[in-house]
Amino acid sequence: MPRLVPCNHHLDKHTYGARFWGIAIPLVLTSIDWPFREILTPSNILMFYLLGVFFVALRFGLLPSILASLTSAAAFAFFFAPPIFSLAIAEPENLAGLTVMLVVGAVTSNLAENVRRQAYVAEQRERRASALYSFSKELAEARWEKEIIEIGVRHIHAEFGGQNTLLFPDQNGLVCYPKEPPLDISLQGTDLGVARWVFNHGQMAGHGASTIPNEAAIYAPLMGSTGTIGVLALEPVDLVRIFLPEQRRLLDTYVNQIVHTLERAKSAEQAKDATLKMQAETLRNSLLSSISHDLRNPLATIVGAASTLETDEKRLDEDRRRKLVTVISEEAQRMSELTVKILDMARLEAGEVVLNRQWYAPEEIVGSALRRLDKKLKTRQVNILMADNLALIHVDAVLLQQVVVNLLDNADKYSSAGLPIDISVETTPLGLSIAVADRGPGIPESLQQKVFDKFFRVNAESAQSGVGLGLSICRAIVEAHGGKIQATNRSGGGTLFQLYLPILKCPPTVNLEEKELTP
Amino acid sequence: MNPTNPLLLLIEDDPQFQMLLSTTLESQDYQVLSHATGLEGLIAARNRQPNLLILDLGLPDIDGQEVIRQLRKWSEVPIIVLSARNQESEITQALDNGADDYLTKPFSTAVLMSRIKALLRRVARLPSGALEVFQAGELKIELTRRRVFVGEQEVSLTPIEFNLLCVLVRHAGFVVTHRQLLEKVWGPSYIEHSHYLRIYMGQLRHKLEVNPARPRYLLTEAGVGYRLYEGEN
Repeated sequence: MPRLVPCNHHLDKHTYGARFWGIAIPLVLTSIDWPFREILTPSNILMFYLLGVFFVALRFGLLPSILASLTSAAAFAFFFAPPIFSLAIAEPENLAGLTVMLVVGAVTSNLAENVRRQAYVAEQRERRASALYSFSKELAEARWEKEIIEIGVRHIHAEFGGQNTLLFPDQNGLVCYPKEPPLDISLQGTDLGVARWVFNHGQMAGHGASTIPNEAAIYAPLMGSTGTIGVLALEPVDLVRIFLPEQRRLLDTYVNQIVHTLERAKSAEQAKDATLKMQAETLRNSLLSSISHDLRNPLATIVGAASTLETDEKRLDEDRRRKLVTVISEEAQRMSELTVKILDMARLEAGEVVLNRQWYAPEEIVGSALRRLDKKLKTRQVNILMADNLALIHVDAVLLQQVVVNLLDNADKYSSAGLPIDISVETTPLGLSIAVADRGPGIPESLQQKVFDKFFRVNAESAQSGVGLGLSICRAIVEAHGGKIQATNRSGGGTLFQLYLPILKCPPTVNLEEKELTP
Repeated sequence: MNPTNPLLLLIEDDPQFQMLLSTTLESQDYQVLSHATGLEGLIAARNRQPNLLILDLGLPDIDGQEVIRQLRKWSEVPIIVLSARNQESEITQALDNGADDYLTKPFSTAVLMSRIKALLRRVARLPSGALEVFQAGELKIELTRRRVFVGEQEVSLTPIEFNLLCVLVRHAGFVVTHRQLLEKVWGPSYIEHSHYLRIYMGQLRHKLEVNPARPRYLLTEAGVGYRLYEGEN
């Protein structure tokens, strides 16, 4: 059991000084009264002494005021009550007055002491209340476990002094030292064995407790709603005071506040995790349904056609055989394109892609993209509007070319063969702008943001093959370059995809030759 | 199989893909020798002296780059490297190490055939000495007289533009890496100054191409280098 000691020792901080004043003040009064001893009656003088005792009681407490009473009594008997210069008192009237003064002095001393004590307690309460208030206010604003622990350690230090630390279990449920670097006020070198015992038993241990009382620190369990969640190790300056009921209650209040805040933070985190998990799940589902649809169909065709060729080759005429072979080749091509897109997206998402930025001419990026789609765009009218004197731009050309290829591919897919595709490249205040526009059906305004989402297709059931990744890849690449991409409707019908790449660096200078070869 | 037909050495570790390529190549009257590892491939290259090598860069034993470096110490045999997509840096390295051309998987066998033919043709042409006149489509370059024509129209080029064009003509039909071009035209100290190449290639396109944004002759291989169109043959 914790030892109980009276808690008033703090009231007698100035004990020796106070006792000195308890004796000095009656002596001072004596010297003041002495010249007037002919004018004042003994009862008047006693009143002066009473005033002094009262003052000492208010100012310095009980013991000094008793000293003051006794000194006053002695001084009165010696100097003022006849016979003078003797402690004897001749007149019974003076004896009665002296007795009354002693009694009144004792009573007022007690009263004054009570007033003093109450004022002190009130002041302490107020200080504690405001400390608790600022503690809970800080906790209310804390979001992360680390923050909460730091606030807890700091405030317990401020209230109880000394050093303390909060210990929590790791994934294996074993209490371990904190991973964060300790604060100046953190208690270091705690006994993990004791902390683990406290954690497992939910009981206090360490100094003054029944378990391991020889420890310098106190180990208190942090009791949460579902059991012990951690351990407080505290080595206060004053090991005795901490066991006062009032202090224990205060410590409990601090610990409870910390525990509640930690539990609140944890449940908020769990809720967030759950939401994220759900989103990932939804994504995985849409990925699976999308992939299974878009890969299974061509696969079914390929496997079917190949097995027909394998088993019935002799019975097929040349024409049919050719048809089957063409189907296999086309479907395999489609699967290959889809796989490439899925892999690209996975690579971009995984953050594996490191931009290989070099100086490139915008014209060249558009040119190489067009060349990759040469076959597809053979019969399509492609208008290219390239601003004059475009500066070199510091980008990853392979990825950026992929963006232009995807945009052109989309424009080709979603507009009829006879309609033109317009490409324009220019420098704008937002950076280099590359725009690809078609004369297709356009995208409803409400979906113009959504088209860049993964696996989103404006018309999921349309005959166009695709997984809805092309534009997501575009956005990922453009954003990796610090740029942005948007879709809008064109006047006159069709969609305009426009991307802006910020110009982060001025292109290096090139010393050009003036002279040309003379033919 | 006719022993005078060109011998192709195929180094590819995927058995199905190896089978596909050797079957296709044999059907085109090439002799094909297949190996699944780099070391076996190097030994076969020394013993059998193939006319052309097709090398997959991802091999189980040694790095494909190492095979190229070893081979180039003593052999000029044309090398086509096969690589996965998104590996431009690896392709560039292979070309800088001495490979002649590349294809990314998956590719159509028709493209492979035309690349093989082009490389074998170049080897056959080499002993006959330097090329006098290069012609592809409308573009005509008289190398010794340093004159360039597009159709009937003569085009005047700066010395650097002409040198750049000459390097591409010497490798017409094949990809030349940025590094190779910078080194051959500007010198070894310019290897990191790729912006020079971009600027001059742009100028050259504006002089030679009808539509510089959709070039016909000076083709870009994104992330790797440039290829001069060789004409339809």
